[in-house]
Order: sequence, then C-alpha cells, then structure tokens
Amino acid sequence: MKVVYNWLKEFVELTAPAEEAASRLALSGTNIGGLEQGAQGAVIEAELTTNRPDCLGHYGLARELSAIYRLPLKGVAPKPAESAAKAAEAVRVEIQSPELCGRFTARVIRGVKIQPSPAWLRERLEAAGVASINNVVDATNYVMLELGHALHAFDYDLVRDHRIVVRQAKPGEKMKTLDGLERQLTPGMCMICDGDGTRAVGIGGIMGGAETEISFSTKNVLIECAWFEPVAIRRATRFLRLYTEASTRFGRGADPELAELASRRCAELILQLAGGELLAGVVDAYPGKRAPKKIALHRREFLRIMGADVADKEIEAILGALGFAPVRADAQRGAAGSLLAAWECTQPSWRGEVEREIDLIEEVARIRGLDKFPPRFPVARKAAARLPHADAEERLRERLMGLGYREIVTIPHVAEERNELFRPADAAPARLANPLSEEAGVLRSTAAVSMAAALEWNLNHGQRSARLFEIGRHYRLEGHQSVETRVLALGATGEAREKDIYDAARAYSFADLKGDLDAAGAFAGGFRWQADGAAWLHPARCGRVFLGAQELGAAGQLARRVAERLKLRQDVFLAELRLDPFYAAMRAARDARRFAPLPRFPAVERDFSLLLADGTPFAEVARVIQSLGIAEAGAVEAGDLFRGKNVPAGKYSLLVRVLFQSATGTLTDAQIADFSGKIVAALEQQLGAQLRAG
Amino acid sequence: MSSAESKTAKTLAALDAAQAQPVTALFAEVRARFDAEAAAAHDEASWKLFRDAWLGRKSGVLTQITDNWLKPASPELKRAVGAALNDLRAHVEAQIEARRAALEGAAEESALARERVDLSLPGVVRPAGSRHIIRQVFEEIERIFLQIGFSVAEGPEIETPYYNFEALNIPEFHPVRDDMDTFYLDLPKGAPGQLLLRTHTSPVQIRTMEKQTPPVRVIVPGKVYRRDNPDATHSFMFHQVEGLAVDTDITFCDFTGTIEYFVHEFFGPGVKTRFRPSYFPFTEPSVEFDASCIFCGGRGTAAGGGTCSKCKGAGWIELFGAGMVDPAVYGFVNYDAAKVSGFAFGIGIDRLAMLKYGIDDIQVLFQNDVRFLRQFP
Repeated sequence: MKVVYNWLKEFVELTAPAEEAASRLALSGTNIGGLEQGAQGAVIEAELTTNRPDCLGHYGLARELSAIYRLPLKGVAPKPAESAAKAAEAVRVEIQSPELCGRFTARVIRGVKIQPSPAWLRERLEAAGVASINNVVDATNYVMLELGHALHAFDYDLVRDHRIVVRQAKPGEKMKTLDGLERQLTPGMCMICDGDGTRAVGIGGIMGGAETEISFSTKNVLIECAWFEPVAIRRATRFLRLYTEASTRFGRGADPELAELASRRCAELILQLAGGELLAGVVDAYPGKRAPKKIALHRREFLRIMGADVADKEIEAILGALGFAPVRADAQRGAAGSLLAAWECTQPSWRGEVEREIDLIEEVARIRGLDKFPPRFPVARKAAARLPHADAEERLRERLMGLGYREIVTIPHVAEERNELFRPADAAPARLANPLSEEAGVLRSTAAVSMAAALEWNLNHGQRSARLFEIGRHYRLEGHQSVETRVLALGATGEAREKDIYDAARAYSFADLKGDLDAAGAFAGGFRWQADGAAWLHPARCGRVFLGAQELGAAGQLARRVAERLKLRQDVFLAELRLDPFYAAMRAARDARRFAPLPRFPAVERDFSLLLADGTPFAEVARVIQSLGIAEAGAVEAGDLFRGKNVPAGKYSLLVRVLFQSATGTLTDAQIADFSGKIVAALEQQLGAQLRAG
Repeated sequence: MSSAESKTAKTLAALDAAQAQPVTALFAEVRARFDAEAAAAHDEASWKLFRDAWLGRKSGVLTQITDNWLKPASPELKRAVGAALNDLRAHVEAQIEARRAALEGAAEESALARERVDLSLPGVVRPAGSRHIIRQVFEEIERIFLQIGFSVAEGPEIETPYYNFEALNIPEFHPVRDDMDTFYLDLPKGAPGQLLLRTHTSPVQIRTMEKQTPPVRVIVPGKVYRRDNPDATHSFMFHQVEGLAVDTDITFCDFTGTIEYFVHEFFGPGVKTRFRPSYFPFTEPSVEFDASCIFCGGRGTAAGGGTCSKCKGAGWIELFGAGMVDPAVYGFVNYDAAKVSGFAFGIGIDRLAMLKYGIDDIQVLFQNDVRFLRQFP
C-alpha cells in the first residue's frame, strides 16, 4: 500500500522525517518496500502482512506510529448535516445470510452532482496509487484509503424497490460486474441483491455490479458500508480469480464496528464534494455484532516466551496506544514490576486476529523493539545426530568424486514424453495436476531421465566430456500413495582420458562405468553383475547390479533408440542404483570387516593362455578353477583378451593369471606344476578350453 | 706421426742421447705431447683411447719408454732415465685420472640438463570430482548446527495438505496460502485426500515432534517447490534448511542468540544482525532476519561509489523468516504449550549460495553445466 506521509500527519502530530518513521515502522512489523518523494510529499511503500488488515488504511498506520512515538492519536468523528427525512424510510435492508454478511449499513444522499473531483482529492488519490473516477466514487476510495474499510456507492434510483437483500448465490447464477465481465457464481458467495432479491447488484465485499453503477446522470446515492466473513471472501476470490482492494480488506478481516463510522465519514465527504442532502440516520443491519473479547497478559508468560522483561508502564503504554485498554488484574495490583503482574485487555474491533496471550506478547515485543531482547546462547541437552545414512552417503560421495564424478542437483519435474523413455512398466508415474508447463508435467519416475538431460545439456553446450553423479530421489505412485526412493544416478560421456603430452586419449566405455561402480560397491562387499538391464539401456552393453540377492539397479550404455530421441550424437553411459539397501549393506560390511593376517610366504603367479569359445564368460573360468578346491590358489585374474589374428573364428584368447600362495610354507616347483596341471585339465574338460603355446 | 711419438720407439742410443741433458729434453718433449693430447680427450671414448695410448701394457708410451729407453740405457744414464720416467708416470697417471673425473662430472651435468623436469608443463591431469554448490552450503550449515546440538532430520517432498498447511496453523483459505502457490499431484480416482509438493521444509517440524518429546533440536535440509514461473530469481524447485528447537526453557533471546551464532559462523564475525517483526502462521512472535550487507559492509554504497547493487543501498540483506513456535502448532503434536516453548526458522539455501558466491541467475544452479560445476571444486 502506498502511504502518503502527510496524510498520516492528519492523525498524529509527527515531527520525525518520513525516512525515520518508515524505518521505525519497518522495525515494528510493517515491511517497507521503499520511499519516494512526490508532489504530495513522501510516499512510503508499505508491504502489509496478511494478519494486519487494520493497516490497510492510513489511520491504522497512524495508530502504529502513535504507539511507536507515544504520540496521541486523533479521533475520527464526522458529523455531517442531516435532513429531516429519514434514511430508514428511503431504503430497506434484509440480510438473509448472516453467516456471510455480519453487518450492512446504508445511507442515502439525495440530489448530488456527479462531477470530476477537485485537484486536492485527485492528487492525493493518485499519490496513493488510485485513479480518480468521479467525486462520489472517489469519496468511497478516499475513505477506504483513510480508514481501511471498503465501501460501495450505488445509484439509488437504479436499486429496485430501494430495497437491499443480502443472500447466497444460487447454483448457476451469473452477474455482470463493474469491470464489464460476466461472472459465474457459486453458493457460498455473498450476493448483494435488490428488489425481491432475484437480481444481484454486487458480489459482497468483492465488486459491485454494472447495472447500478454511479454515472454522471446519477442524482441520488446509496452508500453501502458492510462487513463480510473473511473465509467466504477468500474462497470466492480464489474461485473467481478476482482480487480487488475490497476483497483484500474483507478477505483479511475488516473491522465490523468501523462500518458505520466509515459510512458517516463517506457521507460527510460526498456532501462536501457533490452537495446534496443526507437523509437522517443509518439503516444498520448488524446480526454479527459481538461482545469484545477479553485477553489476559501475564508477566510470567511474557518472560517465559521472550526471556527479558519490559516495565509495567511501558507494557501499559504500548497496549493502550494500540487500543487494548490494559487494566492491572492481579492480586499485587499496584506493585510495580511484580513477577505476578497480569493485565486484562480488551480486543479492539480492528484487531480480530489478536485473540490469545501470545498475540499480546508479540504486540508488546514488536513495539518495544526486538533489539531490546539480548541474544543469549541456549545450552544443548542432547548429543546431535546426523542422518542414519549420512556416513555411508558421504563415503560414497567421496569415492565418486575421487573417481572424477561431479555432483549435480536437478529439478525432478520432467516432460511426460521423456519420463516414458525411462519409466519401468510397473512404476506408476507421479503426474502433477497443475503443472506450469507440459515440459514439467510429471515428477521423474527414474533419476536416469534427469541424468540423461544433464549430459544432453553439456553436449549441446560444447562440453563433450562429462562424468556426473546425483544423489537424489525418484517419485512414483503406489495406489493413492506416493513413494520417494533414494537413488544414485551416474552419467558419463566423452573421453575417459583426455589426450595430453603423456598419454593418448581413450573414450569412456562400459568398462569405466563398471569399474567405477565396483569401486563404490567395494564398500558393501562388492556388487554382483547379471546380464540384462533396463529397457533404456543398450541390450549388449548393460548389466543389472545386485548386492547378494537384492537388485539395486542397472548400468550401461544408453540405448540407441533413446539416444536418438534425445538427439545425442555420442555414446552416453548411465547407471541408476537404489541407495537404501546399498547404505545398509555398507554399514553391515563395515561392521563385519575383520583384519586378514598378511601372508608370510611368497606368492607365485602362473599365467594360462587359453583359447575359449565365444560366449564363455570369464566368470566360468574362475569358477572352474576355484571349484578344484586348491587351497593355495588365490586370486584368479583376467590378464589379456583378444580376438582375430591367430585366433580362429568363434574363439577368443584369454590370458588368465592365478596366484598361488601357502600360509604354511614356500611353494615348490613341483607343487605349482601339479596345481597347473589340474587347472588345465579341468578347463579343457569342462569348458573345452585349449592351452595356447607360450 | 709426430717426432716425439716416433722417438719413444727408438732407443736412446739411436736418438743419440747418451748424456743426461738430451734425456731431460726428450722427457720434456714427451710430457708436452701428453699434455697436448690430454686436452683433446673430450669424452669417455676418446679418453679411453688416450689412456690406452699412454698407459697400455703392451704398447703404451710409458711401456715403450720403459722398453726402449730405460731397459737398454747405459748404467750411467739408467738412474736419470728411471727418475724422469717415474716423474712422467706420476704426471700421466694423475692427469688421466683428473681428466676422467672432469669428463664424468661434465657428463653428469649434461645428463641432468637433459633429464631436468620442466615445471612449467602440467602434470598428468586426472578427472576431478566435485560437490554441488548446494550440497556444499548444506554441509556447512549442518556442521554449524551440529556443533550446537542440532540433529539432522528429513521428510518426504510429496506431502499431505495436513503436514504442509493445517498442522502448521494454515487452515484452508488462509491468505498465506495465496503466497505459496502449490503443485498438486494428479491422483487416481477415489484417492482419500490430496497430495502436494511441499512448499517449505516446515512439515518436517510436525513429523519430528510427532515422533519425539522435547527437547527437540533439528535442522532439515531439503528440496521445496512453489509454482512460480522460472526467471533469474525464481525456480519452482529450490532448497531450504528448516530449523526447530523446542524445550522447557527456550526464549526469544535464545532464538536470536542461536541465529546470530549461525550468521557469524557462516558469513564471518563482522556481520551485524537485525530482527524485524513479521508474520507467519506457525510462529509468534515472527521475524524477518536481516544481516548487514556483506558486499558493502552495511554502508549501502558500492566500493567504487554509487549504490550497492546487492542490498540496493539499504545496507541490510533480508536472509530468512523465523520466530517462536506458535502455541497453536503444539496442539497438533500433543505438546503442552503451557510448558514448552521453542523457535523455528527456514533458510533459503539457493539465495544464500547466490549471495555468497555472486551468482546472478538461479537457473544456472540446476543446469549442471560442467563449466559451472568446475568452479566450485
């Protein structure tokens, strides 16, 4: 709200410069967006929090300043001259929905002359950011900006039967509002109607209707000043997507007591601006009148929450200035500074949101100044704990960084079409009901879809080599429930080693991905790989990753079909693993780990150069060797692998290295020869392997 | 073949040197020849030839002198020839050794010059990994709060309206809901209630208090979502760290003390702090927390003159919202509001990282361009 500083001075005799007053307001709870000097003097941009509808008018902010500076606040008591004729005889008001409309006041002014407003009024409204329309409408806006209560002026002669009926909207009902739009209404909305109540002439608290609008031919004016139930207003504004000065004020909770005063002030202004004759009295339907609430404030509670004291006199001055009329109500009455001091306060009608003791505590504290409560350092009573998986996650992250992977953070909203490229058939997608765009219509069902996008971004921006990882979640539905699963995604493309003056370049391959994953898997006792993978992976270059019998996920080269859809022009490698079982296995592996004594006798290596049929996996070779039960046979490693040249078609050459070591003595040549003989025989017999010469 | 060389192949008699004087001259001649050849031995190979030419057992010059000059010498000359030969031998041996040492030294020097590493060349560059900047800020904040007894908690990003709003004292149609534009999930027909993407990490306050009794001290790092159109300062996904402390004796002063500690740890001890009253439905009193601008030192003017672009001349930067837990919230978790009190805060991490590192576009945080990632090793 734009606050004209000189306007505030009409209610409080402020001597401070506007800048200082703005800064004091900021430090007592009115956020200040800025301050500008204009033709009307300083204009402060006040950003009111939703709990302070009372400050949506200059008078409310003047009250704040009167409390801050301890200056008296002038009263507002308009006494417009009234004619002998009575308003009650000119207009009738019936509230059929008191749950929506707690008060409705009507005044009537006859014989007005509608014309442009005088300069002083136009300028002041413009300084406050409101366009001038005509003298009567401007008068209602002026009072709204002054007192914070919205009003509406009808052309009295267009109100049928001079009768107002306030009722709920009917199903399917429509009306044309002042802005010329036809509005679809629903029950629960408060309608201001005329005549027999069938025709709506305004949406209560939100916007008036076009049919009864003030025009330059208007002679007689009906001033509506009412009070509407805030929740109903907010519901209606959200439904209609119609946010107005009136709906903001009524939606946050206006002051029902103010309605009659604002109406009187408006009548006074109209008489001044447009002439005419004010009918005597007010028609006031007030079914929602409430007795003022009593709220107690205890010093003990103030201290319990705030931790530092405020003197009796100051508490009373602050609450008094804000309108809470504090009265000492404890047995120690009069004993200054008593710990047992208590005040009985009365909730002012303009502060509907102040209902509890904590609200009063906040009022005292904010006007006193939050800097008056000295910072103190609390003592902890319990040891702090990190997340149960924090340690495992950190070890994993460090390992991946050591292997050259950079961590990424992604937004999980993706296009449905993309999500489908990666989504497993049995995973229900978590779609958004109100996405910002189709590009972000569903929460990712896999982390791989985001990782592919990150690689795509880099390739499209000239970054040909990247190794990335993400520790995040994927999101799925199971029935009506959402399931968020912690996952690791790995992505890489381009060169595993860049060409430099020492080495040649080497492209990142499946073996890099597998090796890096295994380096992480070592924390959990090692991954087990199994053929096949996800549908989004290249069928020949992929694998499923297991810990024991539990499948963690899949890894491999991105399927050509998907890579083409994403227009990726080079090979891309991806992996996605579930983290919770991995973390659990990391913890278990660490707990189970025991020291193995270092060998005391030398180890002997023997190489076996084998010709094997294509399709015979290395794991089979290792299994055959291990199944011989040679206690001295240790690690079985693949040393070299090639095809072609001297290797017949359908076969491949594999160099297998076996390490022999005894815990009880140095192995003799005869022993080694014996082991080797057994191994060769078994490989020949079981796998049809041939030992190559040399 | 020089005359001096050929002379050692002849006997003294043949050289017509029967007197001591011509013998001395002959030896001087040989010595001069040796010295001249010594200077020419410039590498290991020529040195070896040189050594063998003079000290070779069979045909070295000294052997020749022994055989041709000393052995056949007359008894009266033998002594003088022997003495001169010994002198010459000592000189030859010493010089050959010295020459060897000199050559070796030179060789070593040239080998070092050849082998010396060029420190201006790069080493072997291995691929380096890095933590995302958001993760780095999370970790720093976690470290700061762990030190003062705050545990770390987490919660789901897909929430129910109850945890995201109602239990935080934000009933339906509360005006604050208009400020938190919310993503809802499209659930299959017959779903018992709505699901939404949490708009703040505050639901974890409720989830934490449901699970434990006071004292409570937690921080909650995580992703949050608001349905804002993306631009340089808005992303519909961003990060927060929620904080919550509830105990029997926590006051507003403890709250401000804790926040000051955090800010001094994070931004440095010179930073000033300020609390402005504000409004959130789940805290009361509520505050907005400001720190003196770390770019202009709170002066509001930039180093080169003019208004500081970071704080727009205010000298203060708005950091986050916080406050004392509203007693209404305790009602949702069966805490006794008359016995316990506490505070809560919600720090926007992306903004903090952007401020600290001078990042002017929030979108760059989530594009994951390696040129960006590399800048925060």
